[in-house]
Amino acid sequence: METKIKSQALQEFQEATKTISNPELQKWLKEGGKVFGYFCSYGPEEIITAAGALPMRIRATGVDSTELADAYLSSINCSFCRRAFNAGLDGGYDFLEGAIWLNNCDHVRRIYDNWRRKINTPMSHQMSLPKTSTDAQVEWFREELEIFKDKMEKQLGVTITDDKLWEAIKVHNETRQLLRELYELRKADNPPISGADALSVIVASTCMPRTVFNSKIKELLEDLKGAEGIKDYRARIMLLGSILDDPEYVKVIENIGGLVVTDSLCFGTRICWADVDEKAGDPLTALAKFYIQEKPACPRAFDQQEIRAKFVQGLADDFKVDGVIGLRMVMCDLWAGELYMTDIDLKASNVPYLQLEREYGVVGAGQLRTRVQAFIESMGK
Amino acid sequence: MKKHIEQPEKGIQLYKDDKAYLAVLLDALSLDTSEEGEINRAVLKAVLDKYDEILKCIDEDEPFIASWFPYSAEILTAMDVHWWMIAQTAFLGVEAPHINDDIDGSARLLGTDFCTILRLLTYYVEAEKSPKPNALIALLHPCDGTTIAHQLIKHNAKWADVPIFGCDPPYWDDDRSIKYYATEMKRMMDFVTEHTGKKMDIDRLREVCLESNKEYALWQEYNDLRRAVPSPHDWTLGPPQCFAMATYYYPGLPQGTEWFKKLVANAEKRVKEGVCGVPGGERIRMLWFDILPLMWQFDIQPWLEAEWGVNIVMNMFGYTPYTPIDTKNEDTMFYDLAKRSLNDFPMIRQARGVADNFLVDIARIVADYKIDCVVWPGHMGHKDGSANIGMMREKCREIGVPFL
Ligand code: SF4
Ligand code: SF4
Repeated sequence: METKIKSQALQEFQEATKTISNPELQKWLKEGGKVFGYFCSYGPEEIITAAGALPMRIRATGVDSTELADAYLSSINCSFCRRAFNAGLDGGYDFLEGAIWLNNCDHVRRIYDNWRRKINTPMSHQMSLPKTSTDAQVEWFREELEIFKDKMEKQLGVTITDDKLWEAIKVHNETRQLLRELYELRKADNPPISGADALSVIVASTCMPRTVFNSKIKELLEDLKGAEGIKDYRARIMLLGSILDDPEYVKVIENIGGLVVTDSLCFGTRICWADVDEKAGDPLTALAKFYIQEKPACPRAFDQQEIRAKFVQGLADDFKVDGVIGLRMVMCDLWAGELYMTDIDLKASNVPYLQLEREYGVVGAGQLRTRVQAFIESMGK
Repeated sequence: MKKHIEQPEKGIQLYKDDKAYLAVLLDALSLDTSEEGEINRAVLKAVLDKYDEILKCIDEDEPFIASWFPYSAEILTAMDVHWWMIAQTAFLGVEAPHINDDIDGSARLLGTDFCTILRLLTYYVEAEKSPKPNALIALLHPCDGTTIAHQLIKHNAKWADVPIFGCDPPYWDDDRSIKYYATEMKRMMDFVTEHTGKKMDIDRLREVCLESNKEYALWQEYNDLRRAVPSPHDWTLGPPQCFAMATYYYPGLPQGTEWFKKLVANAEKRVKEGVCGVPGGERIRMLWFDILPLMWQFDIQPWLEAEWGVNIVMNMFGYTPYTPIDTKNEDTMFYDLAKRSLNDFPMIRQARGVADNFLVDIARIVADYKIDCVVWPGHMGHKDGSANIGMMREKCREIGVPFL
């Protein structure tokens, strides 16, 4: 099951997803641009953009060993973290001017501690992300953003004015809006783009200069207009979970007839379903509100489980989903609990649900195929 | 305000069974007529009193809440609120006959790569094997497990009538973070008032904090005595009991101070007489840098002692920096209670923020307690600590102590 159109933009997105450093990023570096990596979908990309640098979400694409990282981390640490740290130790992120962490989970926050001791990235920065979401937390996070902004200014010798912040917010809001337009097309009975390709687009949106990405996704949206839709599927699937950045994994599901039409993933709706309020008085407050209260939350947000459940249910309804697949990275406590609750919630609304465990960077096609095949059959499709 | 809570029968029964089981243990301990035996029995007596306190609340329809030790229980003492630690059954029931079935049951909920204590407490809620409090204070650090386990409880329809509140923990430990957390703890106090009807009396809080300061000072004195070679006590008496008495059973209460005085006097006497905590003599002084093994404590520790002459002189739960509370006014008290909550409590102090405390503490304990080797046991729940193994190994190499 494949996207029917040939699109230059789509090809570039697919390429960008296959490596850590894509051609557009390399061009940026060659022209003297700086790149800052961040470890979680709460990374304040807008401030990086406002500083004139390129924000990129850290991945471990193509890293097939954890040999170097194993000296520092243990086998009970999440495979994404082990591989990403391995990439850092191996020089895969030597091009970074800075790396940013939030205390998003126990594994990721410790990569900061290890990274700053072992890898010579010019700037390493850790932020304190609240776990609840009242106005007090917005205020706290605004201060965290301000501290980060000051550090960026010093690191790059620039001044990040409010105007620059608003400009960056506009660019990132546009990226989010364009991604939502892509999702909108996937609501159709015969979506013009496969889930695997849609994932490539989203991944590319986190590692290319955003203005370049925005113009390319516009091209893609143009190409997709009136394109022939995908008809040969058996079931419409939604994916849930944390870090899935490998279209090959989605392809396995799609090749047996499970068309992925939507998701609640870190590389997915959770980074594009809301916008930063451009009419607010203060850009940092607007950003803090966005990250703490407005953006679809992840399981670490203690007081937002009901909102998350409604978000998932709403997507399942809007995209006419037949079944939901929850993906839990082995050793991830947050998603173990979250998916346990999701299972109960989806059962209550009669949405078929399958939970799979996975390791980052491992597709495990045989087993995946068997489980998904059985799942699709169980839905009578 | 005061609300009647329908208690699950199984939950009360299990609670009573555990109490009965511990009472038998107390009887058995009474065979040990030594001074140390008496000090240990006092701890078990405090445990049983806590069971009675909650059972009495249930009988008399008095509100009680579930909370956690790292919330500076002095606040609850001062408010005269009855409370029990929601993980109590998971901690204390480890020797109880039902524990293996419970662990299996909890694996069906959350698998086996999730902290067993947290798995058990969510299981007890799901299986209705826990008393049901009038309100729950959720702990949102030091790990992902606590954050999500409390969401599971909140999500559970069986506890839908239990209001829940969690203080948002900052990642840092500077002045700004402590002030932020103090405000969160004041919100927690309002929540407790709302659901128990009990109000804070600041003069009472001052009294409680002064008493708590005495306990902590004595705890420090005791820890200093453990530095002696040989150390006056082995694993059966000391760090875990100090932690339990100061933070849970008698926080800010004179009974706690009295207990600490006896412990210190006993340790002092033994140090003066050169009596060794390990019956066969102390050959290796160990830092066990985590929770002591709960389920195998009667296997591993005696074996370590008998086979190798190992004395676990210090463990993570016995070591805190003991910040005294400044009782000048409400703000200073809450500031220091928040500081204690964030920076002092064992496991929170090491695991909550950046890894530095882990390394600083290892270096300090090794030097102060003349430690011969450091063990990191790799508890499944401590994912953050397991990502510190390289740093710990390097630190131990630097200070010249073997690390396992
Ligand atoms: S699951 Fe949440 S905390 Fe983890 S990486 Fe994704 S957005 Fe960040
Ligand atoms: S998958 Fe889970 S453990 Fe891994 S980085 Fe994301 S939140 Fe952390």
